[in-house]
Amino acid sequence: MNRRAVYLTCAALGLGLAAAGCGGRSGPAGAFRDTHPLPPDTMTFAMPEAGRYGGRFVLGQTTDPKTFNVMLANETSSTDVDDRMFTSLTEFDNATQSITPMLAKRWEVSPDGLTWTWHLRRGAAFSDGRPITSADVLFSFEVAYDSTLHPSVQDLLTIDGKRIEVSAPDSYTVVTRIPKPYALVIPALGSLRVMPRHVLEPAYREGRFASAYSVSTPPDSIVTSGPWRVGQFVAKEKTVLVRNPFWFGVDSKGRRLPYLDELVWVVVPDQNTAVLKFESGDVDGLDNVKPEDYKRYAENQQKGDYTLYDLGPGLTSNFFWFNLNTVRETKRGKKAGSPVVGPVKYAWFSNPDFRRAVSMAVDRDAIIRSVFFGEAVNNWSIMTPGYKQFYTGYVSPYDHDPARAKRLLAELGFRDRDGDGVLEDAGGHAVSFTLKTNSDNVIRIAVANFIKDDLARIGIRCIPAGVDFNTLISNIREDFQYDAVLGGLGAAIPPDPGMGPNFFRSSGATHYWHMRQPAPGTPEEARVDSLFDQLVSTTDMERRRAAFAEIERILGEQCWSIMLPTIRVKLPVRNGFGNIQPSVIPHRLLWNSDRIFVKPGARKT
Amino acid sequence: MRTYVLRRLLQVLPLLVGISALSFLLLQLAPGDFLNTVAENPQVSTQTLEAMRHRFGLDRPWYVQYALYLKNLFLHLDFGESFSRHQPVFTVLREGLLNTLLLAAAAAVVTWGLAIPLGVWAGMRHNSAVDRGLSVLAFVWLSVPEVLSGLLLLMLAARTGWFPVGGMRSLAWSELDAGARALDLLRHLALPALVAGLTPLAGRMRQMRGNLLDVLQLDYITAARAKGLDERTVVFKHALRNAINPLITLFGYTLGSLVSGSLVAEIIFSWPGLGRITYEAIQAQDQYLVMGSVLMASVVLVLGNLAADLLLAVADPRISRD
Repeated sequence: MNRRAVYLTCAALGLGLAAAGCGGRSGPAGAFRDTHPLPPDTMTFAMPEAGRYGGRFVLGQTTDPKTFNVMLANETSSTDVDDRMFTSLTEFDNATQSITPMLAKRWEVSPDGLTWTWHLRRGAAFSDGRPITSADVLFSFEVAYDSTLHPSVQDLLTIDGKRIEVSAPDSYTVVTRIPKPYALVIPALGSLRVMPRHVLEPAYREGRFASAYSVSTPPDSIVTSGPWRVGQFVAKEKTVLVRNPFWFGVDSKGRRLPYLDELVWVVVPDQNTAVLKFESGDVDGLDNVKPEDYKRYAENQQKGDYTLYDLGPGLTSNFFWFNLNTVRETKRGKKAGSPVVGPVKYAWFSNPDFRRAVSMAVDRDAIIRSVFFGEAVNNWSIMTPGYKQFYTGYVSPYDHDPARAKRLLAELGFRDRDGDGVLEDAGGHAVSFTLKTNSDNVIRIAVANFIKDDLARIGIRCIPAGVDFNTLISNIREDFQYDAVLGGLGAAIPPDPGMGPNFFRSSGATHYWHMRQPAPGTPEEARVDSLFDQLVSTTDMERRRAAFAEIERILGEQCWSIMLPTIRVKLPVRNGFGNIQPSVIPHRLLWNSDRIFVKPGARKT
Repeated sequence: MRTYVLRRLLQVLPLLVGISALSFLLLQLAPGDFLNTVAENPQVSTQTLEAMRHRFGLDRPWYVQYALYLKNLFLHLDFGESFSRHQPVFTVLREGLLNTLLLAAAAAVVTWGLAIPLGVWAGMRHNSAVDRGLSVLAFVWLSVPEVLSGLLLLMLAARTGWFPVGGMRSLAWSELDAGARALDLLRHLALPALVAGLTPLAGRMRQMRGNLLDVLQLDYITAARAKGLDERTVVFKHALRNAINPLITLFGYTLGSLVSGSLVAEIIFSWPGLGRITYEAIQAQDQYLVMGSVLMASVVLVLGNLAADLLLAVADPRISRD
């Protein structure tokens, strides 16, 4: 009997526990003193009030960033953080919803609209003090166009299937040539984040780019081009950004930004915990709050020393659509080209009047009252009222009107032939379909149940089905195994319909109701395709708005996607911070993070 | 003894192959893959998706993927790379595993530190008010879901400020000295450990009580009492050592349910553990990260059982391992 072995085993376990307690280093220093001379070309940011140095702002996040390599960041937990650290030629100003210069101080376009010349800011530097030059921009383009890495920004930088030609006549000039006139050149180039060539090129040439700038890379060796750099990262706990001492942004008094010493994300996976953490003062702001909590936040503003900002209707549009997809290849007795849902359902779904009747059955006001606690507005377009540039105020002619819906269905030959309360079509088939949505989204499930009740009132049986998110995506994109799906479309930066070619174009991969059509299946879709070409091929804002208004009208008439209310966005931020200008466009709170400051006398540091 | 331990450890290998095969198969059967979240983004084209699928090797048949995985695992001890983090799986899991072990150890202290004395107490005072009171308490504990007790404790922490609201370390951690750090960690650990520890407490306590009652009815206890030994010696010296054996075995098994056992506490208290990493990996279908975590949990289970068997040998000299 060897007792020593037992004790050793236990000791090994104990050692492991002790090691778990070790943590990182570094913290906020004293008052910031700018020791580096300002560059010749600073960028002066307009802001409500000039601030002062010091302090930190802490934000809650449901999960931590997966990478600091902004080029390969694919989900918001990463881009929320990474976008603060890497700048681009131009940036989107959330307050005015317009483009502003950033690394490019100005640009010119040739008369044919194809050649764009960008003049970089002289003296702009990375966080290690090395200058940002055209070579870095060229390198970033090269990585973005890499066919093996295939960063998702590549899609934005590909115009009509072709790449943008890039050259650099000198260190501070970049010339881009696009294959054809394109409305979104500036935002497309603005979505390319500039990364340091002198640090990353060796890794890139050796095929190690994907693992460079990972979350386990030592913070000091992550060289950034934006206002912030990584100070500390603790997996599943927190991410701390500290100021880039060489950032070219200054305030109206010529003082270098950012004001704050630290920008901190604390990981709080559970929403209920996030509420408590905010109320106890551990977190200064939340950028995602459930509508049922709005009232509670509004009531506790005084006591909790915070403000609940009402940002107005959000950018996410909610809708449901019927499956009009066709079988891709012949198998299991289904012929290629035949409708996936079968001839009977396809006859209903493909009839615009059927879709209009369904739209008229939905009592959207009841949904707003019950599901959204009154915190939503009716919305009839992909461009919700949250889009300043493209919202037109369009109202669909097919809002709630059950009597008219019933008449329309009767005209189409739908009658309740067997007296069971459910309509039958001319062939005697009871009108019944399933409405799928992702089961993890409580609001969508509730909305689907409302739609079920509303449709029952006009004699249509709708069966809501909550399915796993991954299953739903496979159903929508790959096997098309569904009748109808309740989903939504989120926001892009910039908020411009031209950013959604995959949704509007009949050939698009997220043209949900009938995806990736080789040629437009209906005259209306053909018309939308050509209008969309107009929308993205001119920079004339009036013509672009007119083209979009026409697209919106056709979509509204056709009811391919049956629109539902859009949520009103509210979020709480602790008092005592200056230049807090939350907006519905991501990042809602931190888009101007370098200008946020701690007001004098605020109790928090 | 040494050969016994070695043999037990060697048995792990086929077990790991089996477990990895099963979890890989389940991941393949689950609909969709890691790129589904990317696919939902309307700005991402089909070509980009295909290119990414190729980069991650997801375009190859599943048996090729699995064969490569096994090869890397056994030849290079390489657990693969996490799709979402572009980092080796082992790096991602290591920290989470240590944090989970810390929470589990603290929870075990709560569970066993309370279950054994309370169980013994109840067993000694069979059918008394103490015994009945503890039974009632045990059943109340058993029926309160962890989520509820966790949120209630968090609310208490938020209202009173006695404990931090979740997390593992304060933001000011890096400015603290070693003593203050230990205290800070303990304050953060207290509530999650209490929640994770109280749930199994009721069961363990009842088990301890039942075992002790069984043993107390055996002939040798009657003999001991007849010898005139005082009750304390009878219980603690004679009965307890026999009554505790099944609990030692159970202790080994609890190590195996580490990952799932503290998941709820980890999520509610924002504890940076393995359970949360695994949960997120499953949701995102980050397949090698899921497999790595399942394998680690299995290794911990096997080691836990081994430790329990060895402990049993220490507690009960009748059991020989040679």
